[in-house]
Order: sequence, then C-alpha cells, then structure tokens
Amino acid sequence: MLEDALQRSERAVEAALRAGASDAEATHAIVERFSTEARDQTIVKLEQSIGRSLSVRVFANGGQATLTTTDLAPERLDELAAEAVAAARSVAADPFSGLPDAFAPTADSNALALYADDVPARPAKEKLAAVLELEHLIRKHDPRIQNSGGSRLVDAITTTALANSRGFRGAYRSTSVSVGTNPIALDGEEKRNAAYGFAARSWAAMDSVEEIARIAAERAVGMCGARKPPTERLPVIFERDVAGSVLADVFSSLSAANVAIGNSFLVDRIGAEIGSELVTILDDGLRPAGLGSSPFDAEGVATRVTTVFERGVLKTFLYDTYYGRKLGAASTGNGAGGGIGPNNFYLAPGTLSLEALIAQTERGIFVLDTIGFATEHVTGTYSRGARGFYIENGALAYPIEEFTIASDLAAMLGAIDGVASDLRFDGAIVAPSFRIAEMTVSGN
Amino acid sequence: MDERIDGALFSRILGAALGAGDYADAFYERRVSRSFRFQDGKVHDAGVTVITGIGIRAISGEQAGYAHSDDLSPQALVRAAGVAALIARDPTARVRTVALPAPSAAQSVYEGTIAAEPTEAARFVDLLARADVAARAFDPRLNSVNAFVLEEIQEVAIATSDGRFVTDRRPLVALGVQCVAIGATRGQGYTGDGGRTTLAYFDSRTPESIAREAARVAIVNTEAIEAPAGDMPVVVGPGSGGVLLHEAVGHGLEGDFNRQGTSLYSGRIGERVASDLVTIYDDGNLVGERGSLAVDDEGTPGQHKVLVERGVLRGYMHDHMNARLMGTPSTGSGRRQSFRVMPQPRMCNTYMPGGESTHDEIVASVQRGVYATSFAGGQVEISKGDFVFMLAEGYLIEDGMLTRPIRGATLIGNGPDVMTRVVAVGNDSRLASGSYTCGKGGQYVPVGVGMPTVKIERVTVGGSAVA
Repeated sequence: MLEDALQRSERAVEAALRAGASDAEATHAIVERFSTEARDQTIVKLEQSIGRSLSVRVFANGGQATLTTTDLAPERLDELAAEAVAAARSVAADPFSGLPDAFAPTADSNALALYADDVPARPAKEKLAAVLELEHLIRKHDPRIQNSGGSRLVDAITTTALANSRGFRGAYRSTSVSVGTNPIALDGEEKRNAAYGFAARSWAAMDSVEEIARIAAERAVGMCGARKPPTERLPVIFERDVAGSVLADVFSSLSAANVAIGNSFLVDRIGAEIGSELVTILDDGLRPAGLGSSPFDAEGVATRVTTVFERGVLKTFLYDTYYGRKLGAASTGNGAGGGIGPNNFYLAPGTLSLEALIAQTERGIFVLDTIGFATEHVTGTYSRGARGFYIENGALAYPIEEFTIASDLAAMLGAIDGVASDLRFDGAIVAPSFRIAEMTVSGN
Repeated sequence: MDERIDGALFSRILGAALGAGDYADAFYERRVSRSFRFQDGKVHDAGVTVITGIGIRAISGEQAGYAHSDDLSPQALVRAAGVAALIARDPTARVRTVALPAPSAAQSVYEGTIAAEPTEAARFVDLLARADVAARAFDPRLNSVNAFVLEEIQEVAIATSDGRFVTDRRPLVALGVQCVAIGATRGQGYTGDGGRTTLAYFDSRTPESIAREAARVAIVNTEAIEAPAGDMPVVVGPGSGGVLLHEAVGHGLEGDFNRQGTSLYSGRIGERVASDLVTIYDDGNLVGERGSLAVDDEGTPGQHKVLVERGVLRGYMHDHMNARLMGTPSTGSGRRQSFRVMPQPRMCNTYMPGGESTHDEIVASVQRGVYATSFAGGQVEISKGDFVFMLAEGYLIEDGMLTRPIRGATLIGNGPDVMTRVVAVGNDSRLASGSYTCGKGGQYVPVGVGMPTVKIERVTVGGSAVA
C-alpha cells in the first residue's frame, strides 16, 4: 500500500520533469473515511468513501506552481503537469524558491504511534451503536434535553506518500477518530445548545460516550437562565477548548508567511519579553500519538521540537523552507502544502487544577465558548463573542451570554497569570485552561 | 460532460443506489481553478486545482447514505452506489431501473462567455501587476501589498431517481488585495471582488479600483483607536452590512434546522421576527452574482425567496430532503462544497431592499454610536440565536458625524432582538462587492450579501475602551 502510493508520487514527479520542471515534489494522499450521525433513535447519516488526491509542486525558471488534483487518470497527468510547469514559468524568478537543500533522517513513524490497529478493526455496527447511545445519554441526563443537533462519529485512515526530484521518498499511515454531540436544552421559550467532543489517534485513547454525553449535557443545561453581564474590566479564564482557539491566533502571527508580509503583531519582536513568566509555547512534531505529529512535513523536512516562547520571551517564528530562506532561518518543519501549519502547537501546562484556578479568582469570567473569528493580526486586536459563567467569590455564580471579550494578543500573553494542568492533545493546536488578569467584558 | 460519464452510467448508478430507499441522486463535478498570487511586487506563485468525481446519495425517510468516488470507472461507481444504499438496507431489495431523459442544460444566470481555451497566464499576471502598482502609488505609508486572482469553471451533471438530469457550467472569478500600512499604528485593509462571471468583469471593476480601496482602508486603520465597549446605537453602511442579515436571520431559516426544531425560528412562520421596516430576500437568480446558481447542487432551479416581509417571517430555505420531509417544494437551496460531501440547505444572495431614509439623515440622527462601513465576516449559534459580526472598517459617530476610525471589533446581539431594533432603513440598498464565503458543517460555498444603510437602536459593541 505504502509502496504503491509512493510509486504514484514518483510517477507524478517524473511527469513534471518530463514537462520541463527543473525540480518537483509530489504528495499522494488516500483517505478512507467513515462518518455517521444519529438524531434521537435514528441513524440519519452514514458515509463511507475512499478519497484520493495528488498535490504536485513544480519549479521552472526559478518560479514555482502547485497542481492539486483528484483526477488521477495517468493519461491526464502529463497534460496537467505541463500546465503547472507553464504556470511556474510565468511566476517571477525568486532566489528563495526551491526544494529543501538537504533531508535529515526522519523519525520512525511506528515510534510516533500515528497508526492504531483498533481503528480499521472496529465494526461499523459498534460505531452506529455509539452515536445512538450518545443521543440516548444526553436525553437521559436531564428532562430539559429533548432535542439535539445530532451526535457524530468520524474515523479515518490516511496514507501519505511524498517523493521529490532530489531523491527524498517517505510514506506513512495514520489514523484519527472523533466523536461529538450537540444537545439542546429547553429553557422556557428558549433553546440552549452545547457542542462537545473529543478526538484522538485511536479508539483506545477516546473518551467514553458516557463522559462525552455528560459534559455536553451539563454544558447545555448549565446555560439555562443565562443573563447578559455588565460592561467592565475583569479577569477572564479560558476553558481549555477555547484556550486552544486563542493559541491558534498566536500561531497565525508566528507563521513566517504572515510575518514576511507584515501581517503579524510579532514582526521584529524576536528576543522580546511579550508573555508572562507562565508563557512557554512549543511546537512538537514528534509527540507520540499526537494529532499534529508526523515524521516529516509537506516538504520532507524532518519534524522536531521547537520552543517558540520560553517563559514569555519570543524565541523564533515558525518556518517552511521558502520563508526560512527569505527571513534568514532554517525550516522548523512546519511546511504545510502552500502555507505554514502547526505540528502539535501548545502552551505548556501549569500545576493548578482548573477548579483551583477558578477558586483563586475573586471575581471574573469563565469562558466556555467563543463565537466569531476576525482577529486583526497586524495589531493583535482581539474581540470575540462569548458565553460561560460569572465568577464570584471563587466560584461559578451564574451563566452569562451575549457579551464580548476584548484586548490585544500581546497584552493577553503578558497578562496570563494562571495556567492549569488540564492540557490534553485532542487537536494540533491545544492549550490548558488559563487566566488573563484583565480583559474588557462588553455587555449591558 | 466528461467522456467517461453518460446517461446510461448514471441510470445504473441510481438504480444501484436506490435499493429499498425513497430517492437517490448522483452529482458529477469537474472543477478547474487557476490562481496566481502577487507578493513583494512580483508574481509569487501559481496554482492549478482539478476536482473531479461523483457523489452518490440514497435517501430513506430522514436517513441519508452517501459515498463518493474520484475513480470514474463503472465498477468503482456502482460499488460506491452500493455503499450509499446501505442506509436503507433491505435484503429483499433488488437493483431498480431508473430511466433518465437526455440531459438538459440549466438556463444560465451567469455573466460573460466562458472561453473554450484556458486563460493565458499573462492575463492573470497583468491584473495583479496593475493592482500592485495602484496600491503602492496610493500612499507612501503602504508597507506590503499582496494580491491574488482566481478563475474557476465548475461543470456539474446531476441525475435523480425521479428522472431529473441537468447540467450546469458555472464560472467564478475573484480578485483580492490585502495591504498593510505603517503610520501611527499598523493598519490592514482587504478588498475583494468578483462573481459568477469571467475575468472580463475586471475590465469595468478594475484591479486598480479594488487595490485603491484596500490601500485606503489600510491607511484609515493606521489612525484607528480602540473601539468602545457597551451597548450603543450602530449604523450599518450599505453593501457588506448584509452580513448582518446572513447571520441574524438567514442561517436560522435553513430547512434542516427548522425540520429538526433546533432553530429559534422553528415553527414561527407568520410571526413577527423583526421591525416592520425589515424585508429580507434570498435570491439565486441575480445575474453574475457570487451566490447565484442556475440550478442548485440537486438540480433544482435557483429562486427568489421572500424570507421576511415587513417584519413577518414568510419562509424557510430548503434543499430536496428537508423540503420533502416538511411537505413543501425545494427552494433551490441545496448546495455542497464538492462531490465529496452531501448537500445542505444554504443561502445564495441574501439582501434587504431599500427603504425611505437617506444615508446622511440616518447618520445625523445618532448622538453617540458606531458606524460600520464594512465587515470581515460573522457567525451565529442558531438555537439561541446569538450572532456576531466583525468590523473591518468602522468609525465613531459623535454628534451625528463620523469622527475617528476604530479598530476591528466584534459586535454581538440576538437575531430577533436586533432585527426588532431596526429603526431606520436607507434608500441606498446594494449588494456588497466583497467575496464572501459561508461555512456550515465544515462546507464552504460562495455567497452574496446586500443591504441599505440601516440604523439599529442598540447593539453590544465589543471594543476594549470602557467609557
């Protein structure tokens, strides 16, 4: 299987070279995906497919172009390769363009535990039973839950094969599974929803359906009676799932592709103390069973562990080969097919439990959910809709909604004054719960 | 249509997919996109994307089975059809025969003539170079100019077990310019334009005009102060303010949420959900607009839909499946990102027609508030109905005048609450020029939005400056 996939990549590289490319790189991906959804007592969706695609990067006359296709018919490949090469010739010659200069040995994909046998082994019948059970459990949790936006389960087996004209060839298989549910609680005339789920590389590492249903149902019911808080400056605790979304904004400003065009609040700040003492942020491509782990990135560069922030000090941006050359740094193994992507990008955990973090907050906001996405990366201006709980005397006092939280990312990193120990790796960008000493809460 | 696909093969696929189910459909797609990016004053890279395959769906009651295949061989497609049919598994069911007429081409709602040959690279490069020069010439404070242009042709063929067989050829172009300027602070501006038309569109809507707009916003934003926090009057400028309708009302009227009773608008047809100044349409037939479709991705013709009329909820937007389960016709709203995913009820071009007030009198009526010129996007949670929209360019209103620009902020409100507080509607309705893309359930599709100038009595503005 891996050898077949590699051969397809190699044939694509050969086609590009035949079409006149000076260098070429091809990635063939095969995704075998199973997906199902239940609502109440019925399986409402069942999807099973194998999706294949080929992505080819060609270099000609010092410029580059990318061909992405799901049409794998061999007779079409030469034609498409020729078009990509013609496009590359119309791109300006760029001294930074090109394949990586050298390829260091990559990690053993078995040691990374990217593939779990229990994924292909799990019978479809069991997976259908799991989503039906979730629907049953959320309703059983509380009489106010009589409806849902559905419970879903997805698993995938992915084969990735990369070859290039400099002799790199590498392939690996990986698995991923995710389970989630969306209970809706009736609160008088109003409907309160919650979405909660978990993702992992194996079924063995997955939370139980009981746990997922309980957390989701508690969150939906917990929002009943929510009010709009007053406008004031307060400490804000981000629960780990939304804490991860804040880190995703930080990642975007660390991407050398954004730094190079000035679209980042971190431009020219290497070496500066931006975060508090508690801010240590890592990008780790080698974490066993991590959802962001892989032996090599999209360019064949070996992945590694990169310390991005160390006790608040910005140490490095994250680079692929092109932006590394442009900004005078080596690739950090973050090449991601036309851009820069995270491996396992995370904020290092602290020692406090989330409960302790809340208990030591006299008055503040506990955020469980944010809505909206437009961060102004050029200034770091951050503003989101939110819902969660008002904290009084170190305890969750009442649910709140329809308010915003605002600050800017540099100030937020600098004001992190508590980090919980509840980090878990259920995505490529994750964080433990943390507290920011002050943000603007806008409500009534 | 691809030479590997014909009516006989579609009939075979549908027969195998239908099994014991009520309905089956097959969606063939071949989409070819060409794009170029400009950075640092030169062409940075180019991309060619080809998406080809067939998605096969079988429906039985409220159950849907799905499989897709990028392998277009009859064996692979019949196998995929069998997988889709598993949803209505019945050992006694036999492969049924589905008769199809000859395929008919949908009546175009697109602009321009699609050329037989691929556009030459030089054409793309020229558009980007013109945008780059115009942006840089706008102001010496511009630090970085990035631009992209995309041209796409999507050919689809849709066959259904009730005997529909249609084809459609959909053009799409987009040109976007992003600028960063350095003044008192750093400022960012982005402007995009395009539609279901050809690159000839940029003969009249020039790349220079798009670039100057992005550069202007970047310069304005270098002077921007922190946005205010708290409840206040908000005037939403014409065009991209339609994001408000898309989030506050549109999503909540999609058929799936209403059939399932998960939307706050479920079961409320005929009820008042907005002030009587508010009328909202969704239209798939506006010629050349980004959200228009001659037929939707289930083969139903695009339509003009009245969603809200003078404040009263009139109708939902339906795809085939939800319409059938609710006993009503599809409104031509079944859309999908690609052959790899099932269609969902989605919006096309969502807009509000003009009212009576002038833009200037609306602004003059506000003592202290916020003026929103354009939006970076929005999002909604459809059960409770809380939604946000994010400012890309905005100003303080002080004593009836636009004064200082404010930094990006999220505005939050609840759909019916905010729409009930619409107290003035301008006579200047237009569709946004932008290039908005709507996400739902992980699927992204191009949409249009439009609105006149609108005054909302009170909305929560999510800035960081506390009065």
